[in-house]
Amino acid sequence: MSVLCPDIPAPGFSFENCRRNVMLENKGLALPKATKTGTTIVGIIYKDGVILGADTRATEDTTVADKNCEKIHYLAPNMYCCGAGTAADTEMTTQMISSQLELHRLYTNRVVRVATANQMLKQFLFRYQGYIGAALVLGGVDSTAMAVFESRWKPDMEEAEGVQLVRDAIAAGIFNDLGSGSNVDVCIIRKGAVDYRRTYDEANKKGQKQNSYKYPKGTTAVLTTKVVDIEEVVVKRFESEEMDTA
Amino acid sequence: MFLTRSEYDRGVNTFSPEGRLFQVEYAIEAIKLGSTAIGICTSEGVVLAVEKRITSPLMEPTTIEKIVEVDKHIGCAVSGLMADSRTMIDRARVECQNHWFVYNENMSVESCAQAVSNLAIQFGDSDDGAAMSRPFGVAILFAGIDEKGPQLYHMDPSGTFVQFDAKAIGSGSEGAQQSLQEVYHRSMTLEEATISALTILKQVMEEKLNSSNVEVMTMTPGNLFHMFTKEQVEEALRNVCPVEHPLALNVSKQRV
Amino acid sequence: MSLAVKPHYPDYSNAPIQRSFNPYADNGGSVVAIAGDDFVIIGADTRLSAGFSIYTREQNKLFQLSPTTVLGCSGCWCDTLTLTRILNSRMQMYQQEHNKIMSTEACAQMLSTMLYYKRFFPYYISNVLVGLDNNGKGCVYSYDPIGHCEKATYRAGGSAGALLQPLLDNQIGQKNMLNVKQESVSQEKALSIIKDVFISAAERDIYTGDSIQIKIITKEGIKEEKFELRKD
Repeated sequence: MSVLCPDIPAPGFSFENCRRNVMLENKGLALPKATKTGTTIVGIIYKDGVILGADTRATEDTTVADKNCEKIHYLAPNMYCCGAGTAADTEMTTQMISSQLELHRLYTNRVVRVATANQMLKQFLFRYQGYIGAALVLGGVDSTAMAVFESRWKPDMEEAEGVQLVRDAIAAGIFNDLGSGSNVDVCIIRKGAVDYRRTYDEANKKGQKQNSYKYPKGTTAVLTTKVVDIEEVVVKRFESEEMDTA
Repeated sequence: MFLTRSEYDRGVNTFSPEGRLFQVEYAIEAIKLGSTAIGICTSEGVVLAVEKRITSPLMEPTTIEKIVEVDKHIGCAVSGLMADSRTMIDRARVECQNHWFVYNENMSVESCAQAVSNLAIQFGDSDDGAAMSRPFGVAILFAGIDEKGPQLYHMDPSGTFVQFDAKAIGSGSEGAQQSLQEVYHRSMTLEEATISALTILKQVMEEKLNSSNVEVMTMTPGNLFHMFTKEQVEEALRNVCPVEHPLALNVSKQRV
Repeated sequence: MSLAVKPHYPDYSNAPIQRSFNPYADNGGSVVAIAGDDFVIIGADTRLSAGFSIYTREQNKLFQLSPTTVLGCSGCWCDTLTLTRILNSRMQMYQQEHNKIMSTEACAQMLSTMLYYKRFFPYYISNVLVGLDNNGKGCVYSYDPIGHCEKATYRAGGSAGALLQPLLDNQIGQKNMLNVKQESVSQEKALSIIKDVFISAAERDIYTGDSIQIKIITKEGIKEEKFELRKD
């Protein structure tokens, strides 16, 4: 677009494609819906390897469904993967790829390469045309966490420095993005060693309740009672017979 | 003096050089032609008694309504131009209902008087059609019960409203007010007040008191607005002193 | 010929265009109120948010209308600002017109009529009005956005309202329990339950958190408290 002829975005709703869409729908095509992942996952490269980080909140619309879920998934002994999006999809995708990678390792007798995993994930997700809602590894980084990297990441960082940066990026997501919350998980992948630190930082503590919410016995109403006699069980003991060795 | 008046009593909102609004003053004068109405406020409740002028034996007396219910807890006695009074009573009723609708509580008697006062002073020469072109020729006694207890207010055509223990309006008001001052005391019962009101009414009326030319209403915390039936008026009239000087019963000791 | 979306020039297009404008925002927030025999307590969280973002962590949502009446609002914040400004002016007008301070009951009815007045362009607010009645008893009134009013002794409203109301029904209303004494709730119990339910709401509702502002209304006056919640 030239400056003299700028691109004016269409205001309101355009009906241009309505008839086409109706026709496609009648032919059985359901149009995909966009999903906001509402998760903070990050990864950085440092001097000796890679550091992954993730929050632990799973949401269902505006309700917190899981307060401490795992979003850093195992792929191979030298490989982990963060997942954002539809929880079931990220879980199953990483598990399937993980088993394929293991088969590949056994077949080739080599440590599998990250490029291999990347290629397999790409082909898998492409096959499902976006219907599998998994934004993996670094796909679902949110802007608050990315802002932390923009300001503080540099090449060849020390491990401690890198872990702190990842923690801070996830914490930024946890506190400023309502879709992210609870704790920080970190996974450090070095050459030959993986250090998975589940609940690296408990960023949020649950409040201390002031009352006891235990119910005394007999609080719940018993609507009907039916007593069924258990048939008397007779235990018979059979003496083992001697082997006939005659 | 007359000349000055004729110049300044044309426009209803034009002050005379002496600072007077003649049309308003004339309206107040008009009240003095109206039938007499008396209100007495006691600690037990308020009583209103009014005279009805039956100008012809062919007239149906029940169609003259001088005491009206504004809300369950507020009643009014009017004197002056009856047609004007309808407009003002309508406003009082609307304001009371609106107050109940918006706040779910009874309007206080003072607020009701204030609301009617706002209407009373909306007269003028403008052509907007909404306002009255002259002052209302009506005086009103508001009798009611609110959170402050039984209350009696008086309002004149200028929209001025004042709380009273006892007040008379209409043609006999001057004499009646004098008599009220003499008989009123703080510990008066409602029954005493009813008898006194009728006694004074009898004193100032030209006609002989009977159950069709007088209306009586009581406003009590228990019964709120209660209009006397024909029988109740007759009963009340039997208690009114039969002697020529109507105040003999109450003030005889002072008259030695 | 590229596959990119064609630019749209409204002046040169004959295609039908639907114009739309959504005047409302949901800024979240929760309000909880519990009334007792001689007190009433109301609490509201202080998080103001939209979508997945937090606007502020310290927004008070309780408005004192009179020495005995407090209103808690959650929902569309701009509507809350306008409604409470009008309410304050109506309270002042009433005091000047009628020479008395508006009672909680009168205020409750007035709020209902004010909300219904905008029946077809409502204030998008979940309101909870609390105060002491003319006998000094605590009372709670809750509203829908178009003015339906319900008098209660306890109520949870706002984004976590549906989460908390059943908890209050059980803990305050003592619903669905056997062998319990029906007794009125004490001020200390009410206060601790309000704090506890907000702790629970902050666990599961993303629009509730940061802290709560609490007002305790008794005939001695209004006391205010702050209580911290989780901030994620």
